[in-house]
Amino acid sequence: MGMGAFGDPRPKRSLNAEKQGLFSNASGWKSLITFTVLALAWISGFASRLFAVIRFESIIHEFDPWFNYRSTAYMVQHGFYNFLNWFDERAWYPLGRIVGGTVYPGLMITSGSIHYILHSLNIPVNIRDICVFLAPVFSGLTSISTYFLTKEIWSPGAGLFAACFIAIVPGYISRSVAGSYDNEGIAIFALQITYFLWVRSVKTGSIFWASLTALSYFYMVSAWGGYVFIINLIPLHVFALLLMGRYSSRLFTSYTTFYILGLIMSMQIPFVGFQPIRTSEHMAASGVFALMMAISFLKYVQTILTKAEMRYFYMIAVLGAGGVVFLAVVLLTYAGVIAPWSGRFYSLWDTGYAKIHIPIIASVSEHQPTTWFSFFFDLHILVTTFPVGLWYCIKNINDERVFIVLYAVSAVYFAGVMVRLMLTLTPVVCVLSGIAFSHLLGLYLKEEETMSTPDSDSETDDGSNEKSSRNLYDKAGKLRRMRHEQIKESDGLGSNVRGLIVMAMLMMLMMFAVHCTWVTGNAYSSPSIVLASYGQDGTRQILDDFREAYYWLSQNTHNDARVMSWWDYGYQIAGMANRTTLVDNNTWNNSHIALVGKAMSSNESEAYKIMTSLDVDYVLVIFGGVIGYSGDDINKFLWMVRIAEGEHPKDIRESDYFTERGEFRVDSEGTPTLLNCLMYKLSYYRFGELRMDYRSTPGFDRTRNVVIGNKNFDLTYLEEAYTTEHWLVRIYRVKKPDEFNRPRIPLSDRKIKRSKIFISKKTNKRKKGSIKNKPTVVKGKKPTKTA
Amino acid sequence: MRVLGFILVLIYGIVLIQTSDGQRSRKEPGQTSLNEKVQQLLDMSGKRALMRFNGNKFRDFIKATPRNYSMVVMFTALAPQRQCSICRHAHDEFQILATSFRYAHMSSSRLFFAMIDFDEGSDIFQMMRLNTAPVFIHFPAKGKPKAADTLDIQRVGFSADAIGKWISERTDVAIRIFRPPNYSGTMACILLLVLVATFLYVRRNNLDFLYNKTGWALMASVFCFAMVSGQMWNHIRTPPFVHKTPSGGVAYIHGSSQGQFVLETYIIFFLNAAVSLGMILITEGAARRGDVKKRRIVVIVGLALFVVFFSSILSIFRGKAHGYPYSFLFK
Repeated sequence: MGMGAFGDPRPKRSLNAEKQGLFSNASGWKSLITFTVLALAWISGFASRLFAVIRFESIIHEFDPWFNYRSTAYMVQHGFYNFLNWFDERAWYPLGRIVGGTVYPGLMITSGSIHYILHSLNIPVNIRDICVFLAPVFSGLTSISTYFLTKEIWSPGAGLFAACFIAIVPGYISRSVAGSYDNEGIAIFALQITYFLWVRSVKTGSIFWASLTALSYFYMVSAWGGYVFIINLIPLHVFALLLMGRYSSRLFTSYTTFYILGLIMSMQIPFVGFQPIRTSEHMAASGVFALMMAISFLKYVQTILTKAEMRYFYMIAVLGAGGVVFLAVVLLTYAGVIAPWSGRFYSLWDTGYAKIHIPIIASVSEHQPTTWFSFFFDLHILVTTFPVGLWYCIKNINDERVFIVLYAVSAVYFAGVMVRLMLTLTPVVCVLSGIAFSHLLGLYLKEEETMSTPDSDSETDDGSNEKSSRNLYDKAGKLRRMRHEQIKESDGLGSNVRGLIVMAMLMMLMMFAVHCTWVTGNAYSSPSIVLASYGQDGTRQILDDFREAYYWLSQNTHNDARVMSWWDYGYQIAGMANRTTLVDNNTWNNSHIALVGKAMSSNESEAYKIMTSLDVDYVLVIFGGVIGYSGDDINKFLWMVRIAEGEHPKDIRESDYFTERGEFRVDSEGTPTLLNCLMYKLSYYRFGELRMDYRSTPGFDRTRNVVIGNKNFDLTYLEEAYTTEHWLVRIYRVKKPDEFNRPRIPLSDRKIKRSKIFISKKTNKRKKGSIKNKPTVVKGKKPTKTA
Repeated sequence: MRVLGFILVLIYGIVLIQTSDGQRSRKEPGQTSLNEKVQQLLDMSGKRALMRFNGNKFRDFIKATPRNYSMVVMFTALAPQRQCSICRHAHDEFQILATSFRYAHMSSSRLFFAMIDFDEGSDIFQMMRLNTAPVFIHFPAKGKPKAADTLDIQRVGFSADAIGKWISERTDVAIRIFRPPNYSGTMACILLLVLVATFLYVRRNNLDFLYNKTGWALMASVFCFAMVSGQMWNHIRTPPFVHKTPSGGVAYIHGSSQGQFVLETYIIFFLNAAVSLGMILITEGAARRGDVKKRRIVVIVGLALFVVFFSSILSIFRGKAHGYPYSFLFK
């Protein structure tokens, strides 16, 4: 894929400056080495994402990927247009969901077209396998596009470093292991290739590259909601360049082409629709477009006015135009033409906003702020080296480096606010760290004569950088020989110091690689629908309760059965059990979720009213008390209460679920409201009878390490339908109104009276039964037919 | 005759009761009737939504039994020498709440807000057995305050919304909070812009400092270090500066990977910056030309910074990530 493009004309330029050494045809060697390194990066990136497949099996992970997989399978089966018009009545019962208009279809189209191509080549691959391996394959494409981006910004050597970093860095692996079939897997590729094409088009100023940028932006829009980052970052770059007085006709051409084409194309995605011209998130782009037009007009005016007048006029006009655009946006927002910032975006600026106003956003662990620990965990040494790259980019600033600086600063802010956005930070960290390492090692691995070449401005040192990076390529295999060669030369710093530095750097890079592998293997490779527990002797036990329960649902319930569960499990129930759910991970309707939360947190009879009004047939809860699984519903319960309280403040109060001392306890000191709510009862039904081993008391909850408070209770309105092997999933059937509390009517009040004595209506004569047309059988003779 | 005698006794009894009643009311002239009390409270709270009570008023309006109104009292210590900084915040929030309630229900006599300062009614603090401040206690119209009538500041905090929610739970009076629009953020922004603009105007003939790349690079790096060391997490979650263990020791590093202390993030900020500085020194040592000895020292110092401080980050990380196997130089 695109590997042929490496025969770039640029390396040839430095051929003259190249020392003719062992490599007689340097550009050929260069291409070969580039090709090899990128191929190895792809392979190692692919391989390190396969932990989950090797340890478990080739399955789809977690929650959202199940929906993506289900809709991909639907699209492959029914065709693209039917997919766009798909109304899914199995979700959000009784509302349903218009799937075609509420998804980013890029992911499904990508894997669907791969499936189509492979099948037209007569390679029979199941769509599930394509979905599982899509993200690892795309990680290779990501590292190649990162190489190109870094090459545009600094040098090919830095590009190779960046490509290798992004292939294995945990911050990106976390979202792209085999089986995590999610938008981010392909979106980071789209992001990087868009940025590469943008930088390229700013450099060249050609409409061709700008159109390609718009095309890849279109792909990004179709793939992920994070496209908003692009449509704000590129205008920010243009704006910064304008402020720095770096306006050029190249910039004008590339931005206007990109903006117009990108705008029109992004509106072709049904889910995006008219948002690009109607919401605040997109207004920066059009504002900068207007500014660009104003400035190009001024440039025209400049040809008429004198220079001295122009300088002041120019500054005032730029500031004035910016202010007018800003005011226009504000006014239009007030007038209601432009929708204000949506909650998710708004919470990025006003960091306290989500916590107070939108519990459903605050409840998702991905939307939490990031600790330094997470940064180090996901990026390791890159956390400390990317500011070095940033430093040198600013020191040697030019048009495209402004871009990478803005990218770094904005992405690091967003990553600080939200753990999830670590994903957008990771690529730029890899790029900048690649620059830092390449710059450093380039100086230390260089041969002596070239030390004397001046290394000041970025524009002039392109050649020397490339030269140094040429030496970088072979650092992995041939380093030892290089150092031996250097010993005999007299050197400014001395070969010992150089050797020490190079060794230290290699040591750090090795530690980085080891760290990445450890993190990937231990933290990011759990499918989370299949759990593994390790015994003391190292034996592994697979807990397959989720699939067991979903399979039971699919085999033992009616096809139209409606299953109520907390929204986390909606996609899995729909994907694996193929049953109707009330709420799912597409949390578009807060009040519906609050209704489910209310049912879970009220007592049985109140909950029954809600459940009958929603036609619930089965209730599914996740319970980890037997095996000590901490992500179960009781631990999530407070969020259910909070979300329910948000919509029904009169019926549900969070404080009712806390003890006097403000603790959330399920043991005998827990509040009566908690000990009698539906979620408690469904989780702990008959748990009081369970004794896990001889020493422990019955009803001991291993997750919360307490003996539960309410042990002996019966369910009136529900009955246990199925509990999996390790009690991880418990399914209950909701009784019909005639099945419970059925009052016993005394005999005298019954409409239809029944006495116990059986009176036959037959008369004496007819009492004896006979068979019609009975053949008369005489022994020894054939039966004769009568009549 | 017997009947008459009985009636007489009855009348006498009634008279006796009435006179004794009258005597009792005459005996305690400070005790005002319920209606008067309510009227006084309404007058007071009309002037000032959050009434300032001393010991006597507390006894009259809150401790005295015939009441048909609820009372929410903040026990606080606002005097500067008490050095209670959160009392000031709590007072502001409580003031907002009381004012919004008065504003919405001008003549409601169901609920009143009061505050007692430690320096004006220390006897009340002793009576209520309080030794911390601020404390919010709700005195219901009937009966004594229960445990739940004391606001759990540890859990819900003392923002006006939280107190309002607690009050609506205790008294079924919902209070819509009107915050006076907060212009301080906008003002600060405008002020900053004006400052920058004037600065630029004053130095309009010499704008070279804008082209000082080192300054810009330093700013960008410091911002990155701040974000990467989790300052945003501190801003949102407001963790303690350090943790004082019950045994008297001080923990600088949070034990789990889920949390962090403020000081800890400063340490990480410094360590990260030192590692980056080390790397820059190494690079500069090779890139610059000049005295070889000096450059060699620069390079060695850079290498030491890089290796030592990175190892210490790694060892802190290892302490937080249980079961992490790798370390370098330090355990």
